[in-house]
Amino acid sequence: MSRLAPVVIDNGTGFTKMGFAGNNDPSFIQPTVIATREGGSGASGGPSVPSKPSFLNSSASSNIASKRGIEDLDFYIGDEAVANSKTYALNYPIRHGQIDNWDHMERYWEQSIFKYLRCEPEDHSFLLTEPPLNPPENRENTAEIMFESFNVQGLYIAVQAVLALAASWTSSKVSEQTLTGTVIDSGDGVTHVIPVAEGYVIGSSIKSVPIAGRDLTSFVQNLLRERGENMIPAEDSMTVAQRIKEQYSYVCPDIVKEFKKYDQEGDKYFKKYEGVHSVTGKPYTVDVGFERFLAPEIFFNPEIASSDYLTPLPEVVDTVVQTSPIDVRRGLYKNIVLSGGSTMFENFGKRLQRDIKRIADSRIKKSEILSGGRMQSTPMEVNVISHKKQRYAVWFGGSLLASTGEFHSYCHTKAEYDEVGPSIARHNRVFGTVG
Amino acid sequence: MILLDYHNRIIEDTLKARFHPESKPKPVDMSIVDFDGVSYHLATLDDQDTKLALSIRWNCWSELVQYGAMDVLRRDYKQWIVESEQGYDFTLQFDLENIGADPEELIRKVALLKRNAMAAPFERAFDAQSLAEKEDNWDPSSSQLMTIHYRDGEAIYIQNQQDRVTVIFSTLFKEETDRVFAKVFLQEFVDARKKPHLQNAPQVIYSHREPPLEIRHAPGLLDSENQGYITFVLFPRNFAAGAVREETISRIQIFRDYLHYHIKCSKAYMHSRMRARVSDFLKVLNRAKPEIQASEKKLASGRAFRRV
Repeated sequence: MSRLAPVVIDNGTGFTKMGFAGNNDPSFIQPTVIATREGGSGASGGPSVPSKPSFLNSSASSNIASKRGIEDLDFYIGDEAVANSKTYALNYPIRHGQIDNWDHMERYWEQSIFKYLRCEPEDHSFLLTEPPLNPPENRENTAEIMFESFNVQGLYIAVQAVLALAASWTSSKVSEQTLTGTVIDSGDGVTHVIPVAEGYVIGSSIKSVPIAGRDLTSFVQNLLRERGENMIPAEDSMTVAQRIKEQYSYVCPDIVKEFKKYDQEGDKYFKKYEGVHSVTGKPYTVDVGFERFLAPEIFFNPEIASSDYLTPLPEVVDTVVQTSPIDVRRGLYKNIVLSGGSTMFENFGKRLQRDIKRIADSRIKKSEILSGGRMQSTPMEVNVISHKKQRYAVWFGGSLLASTGEFHSYCHTKAEYDEVGPSIARHNRVFGTVG
Repeated sequence: MILLDYHNRIIEDTLKARFHPESKPKPVDMSIVDFDGVSYHLATLDDQDTKLALSIRWNCWSELVQYGAMDVLRRDYKQWIVESEQGYDFTLQFDLENIGADPEELIRKVALLKRNAMAAPFERAFDAQSLAEKEDNWDPSSSQLMTIHYRDGEAIYIQNQQDRVTVIFSTLFKEETDRVFAKVFLQEFVDARKKPHLQNAPQVIYSHREPPLEIRHAPGLLDSENQGYITFVLFPRNFAAGAVREETISRIQIFRDYLHYHIKCSKAYMHSRMRARVSDFLKVLNRAKPEIQASEKKLASGRAFRRV
């Protein structure tokens, strides 16, 4: 029997991307949220156990362990969970990229596999992703669930940043397929800058920036509100801000010149957003002005939106590279890869490349001056790579990796798991060492 | 979610997006799978973004064709059938500019492609049974045993008799644990039928290792510890023509996946109870830590004394 396509699931804090290897886009993109009947996401989250076995417990308790029915099957995931949030309690099993509640995650996978992907896990290999610096215990737990509950044929757990690097190989700008580079991963909640050297994440140099998609959206929302765009219905203001951000925003090379351009030839730059009131169905229009270039600008000039975080993104990237081992720094500058939805703005890559180059060049110049002109350095090559698959770069990288012929030899198989136990997940076959 | 869906969600979602009148035709090329080793290939034709082709590949396709799958498919998909794509068993092709009056209905039907192909042997058995019922002296040897090897090492056997249709699943469990779960789970089927409101449900018999009499002569039966047989006895009331029949076919052919889904759910449930129990024990352990002995009491003179 020919092997069936491996399943690739990228569980992120905000969204889960899942699909089959070999495809260009994930089949499902939905919020990582599970709606259960158990009441709020209390501290323990899971069902509490009665002190006595359930048949001795006469009083009707609300916890699931004492019920003999099918309450544990009564839940929704993803978009359906959000739609049912009025009668169910929403739980977010992943916090800051790491799995927080294993009970919920196990059930989330259960439904992802059987309801959405519709595949028999015993027939497929699975590629899952983990954030950088994921504790090995988490990886073991994942392997335990995958092998014990689902009997998966094979399992490979990849680091998201490395997959994002692999995804950039599709770009025409990339000349060689290397696993060295800096990954800028900006999703909905947080932006990470992660240096990777030959497939290894340099954990000590990872920096995160508390500016991401959600902050951009609320910034746009604020701008609209302050300008008095009172046509927007209050309950839709968040969605409208998000749409405006996604449809019209771009990164400008110079903020002052851009303002001037808007003042001189306004009709060319000002746009109109047309929306429909979600309750009354009345159409309305919103003027879109400076927020077009101001929203992504907060990556480069955070002071316009926040008062406590003031380091621009290019500077963060530069610090990350400078704190990495000296022999990989050139490689890290040369291959800066974007990943995630909030890096999709037009010219984002160009602007980032220019700003980082400026910082790097000025440092080289300074050292040349300090050496009194006796030392000449080769100029630093700075390359920011943006490509078409940027939005789901991690998933796409996983799809690429899993569709290669060698993938099955990288996977940990069920037989090996039975032999060794969960600790097998600590070992990564691609690099051949304990990771 | 207790019951699994019958339709393929990815196909449904993709077609919905494509068939929407306002969507622009874009090239697409994806390969997806379904339960029981079915592979689909959904792609636009080269240079023609408005032509969308859906191909299916299934190991047991030739057996299904032998039992009349093409007739069923022709009935359901008539104008969409085209020459099968290289490497696949069956292909449908849609023209986005001309998808007929009721795209919703079409999407629903296409998402059920696997189910409809599998429906053929069931329909044939049901029809044969209703013919046999009318005859006074029916020859038992004319009943046909249809075998569909729908997975590696597992098969569905369908046999029509004068008063009933028997459907037998042979199941193979890779895991010892799974087999135990399945046994408990299937026992529930037998017990549940004792309830008064479920008297009309078909009878379910589970036998471990020992093949039921109906298929004992069939070739290729595995004799192993992991092999089990599940028999459904369907009476005419269970497959009365119309909605009941369609529902019966859908339900019975997803049975294996349903069983395995529930085995996995039970395991997940056990795991969550184990986790809760462990965290409970940890609490007890933490409480049981010995208290730190207060430092030795001393008199003002500096001499220590022991309390008796």
